Amino acid sequence: MYLFDLGKLPGQQSMLIFHALARMGVEALVIVSPKNPLVSIGYFQDAGREIDLSFCRENGIPFMRREVGGGGTYLDENQVFYQLIWKRSNPRFPVEMKRIFEELSIPACETYRKFGIEASFRQENDIVTRDGKKIAGEGGGDIGACMVLVGDKVYKSMEENLTTMKRELGDIPPREEVVKTLVREYEKVIGRFESVALDNRIVERTKTLEKKFTSDRFLFKKTRKVPKGIKIRGGVEIRYGIHKAKGGLIKTVEELEQETIKEIGISGDFQFYPKDDLSTMEVELRKTEFDQGKVNNKIEQFYEEHRIQAPGVMPEDFTKAIVQSESEGSE
Amino acid sequence: MEIEGYHFPDDLYYDKEHCWCRVEDNVVVTGTTDFAQKMAGEIVYVQLPLVGKSVTQGKPCAALESGKWVGRIYAVVSGKVKEVNEELEDTPDLINGGPYEQGWIFKIEPSNLEEDLKNLMQGDDLVQFIKSEIIRVAAEKK
Repeated sequence: MYLFDLGKLPGQQSMLIFHALARMGVEALVIVSPKNPLVSIGYFQDAGREIDLSFCRENGIPFMRREVGGGGTYLDENQVFYQLIWKRSNPRFPVEMKRIFEELSIPACETYRKFGIEASFRQENDIVTRDGKKIAGEGGGDIGACMVLVGDKVYKSMEENLTTMKRELGDIPPREEVVKTLVREYEKVIGRFESVALDNRIVERTKTLEKKFTSDRFLFKKTRKVPKGIKIRGGVEIRYGIHKAKGGLIKTVEELEQETIKEIGISGDFQFYPKDDLSTMEVELRKTEFDQGKVNNKIEQFYEEHRIQAPGVMPEDFTKAIVQSESEGSE
Repeated sequence: MEIEGYHFPDDLYYDKEHCWCRVEDNVVVTGTTDFAQKMAGEIVYVQLPLVGKSVTQGKPCAALESGKWVGRIYAVVSGKVKEVNEELEDTPDLINGGPYEQGWIFKIEPSNLEEDLKNLMQGDDLVQFIKSEIIRVAAEKK
């Protein structure tokens, strides 16, 4: 099995490598960090829903769909991205999905432990710290004749549920130390790697794939239905809402616990005065039951009390974005 | 037949990607096997092929997600997609509950059925193949 320790590569290339290697049937561990930030969504996710496309375009942040599962991720040079590729027929690897994630997460967990962070694997395929905060997310899939497991950090916005090495340790350990440890831990599970560099054949394959992966056709492919809420922690559900009001597009993300809004983020390109009151409204919506009437009453009351001026955006518009049925949201 | 706890109806044909097909008049009903659904765990999403799409035996033409894994669904025979099981859009775990009945995935109007069936397994061939897969799973659990 090969080891490609690629250091830092331009954003999309860091993701395209595993897609190319899997198609070519090359079994390998790839360690890479994106040189510049990029946003990536899971295979079944809806680009318009998951990504603030105008923000990315305005700030020159590339975005792409990947062919493995998991959620939307923001990747930058401070993250170590590990990609493991093996042939489906390779008997050294598990067959059962649950075991694939469990066993192949051991090296990442051990690496965190070596740096003083007690981390363990948790269904649905996250690596969490002792107090249950997610420190890495994983996804995987069948690509060509290969299987691929990828790991990285997920979402920076849901801070309450997530953490990072920096947050846990107060500092980021040197990248090369993290990589060295991660490779050593993978070798304990898989066996020795042969360290190699990218050759022209792989580079060419990556370039060919880039056209497909950055095409609007692939990126904006119709996902028939948004999958049911993605659970980022046991008992916690994340839902995404989108609604086009006369005054602009409203996007929401809600963290629900026992059918009650625990946390909510509202964004979009609408106007809302006084501006700061949007954050206040988010706070007010916490602990509201996830029910259309109750959410709408809360927002109407808020509009009245705070004398909100939002041209073309009525309380009902926010309610629609927040409490829409999944099928309404998918079309 | 039962092969070490995994169910495989005798009248179906199977491929090595763990997909099955049943020939019904001029239509081939396809899906994923009991072994595959057990390996996948709870299926949370199925991306069905478009009706009318041409599919080729052994090539991926649909996908499903379990956990955060994207699994491919392969065409068991070549032809055109005639119908898809839209029930799976709302309840993808029908595959877990009944992979050969309510969990069928799509139907194909075959273009080369006689030849394609020769590439599929039944009886002893199937038993041998599934047993080799089961050995891998058993080894993992040790």
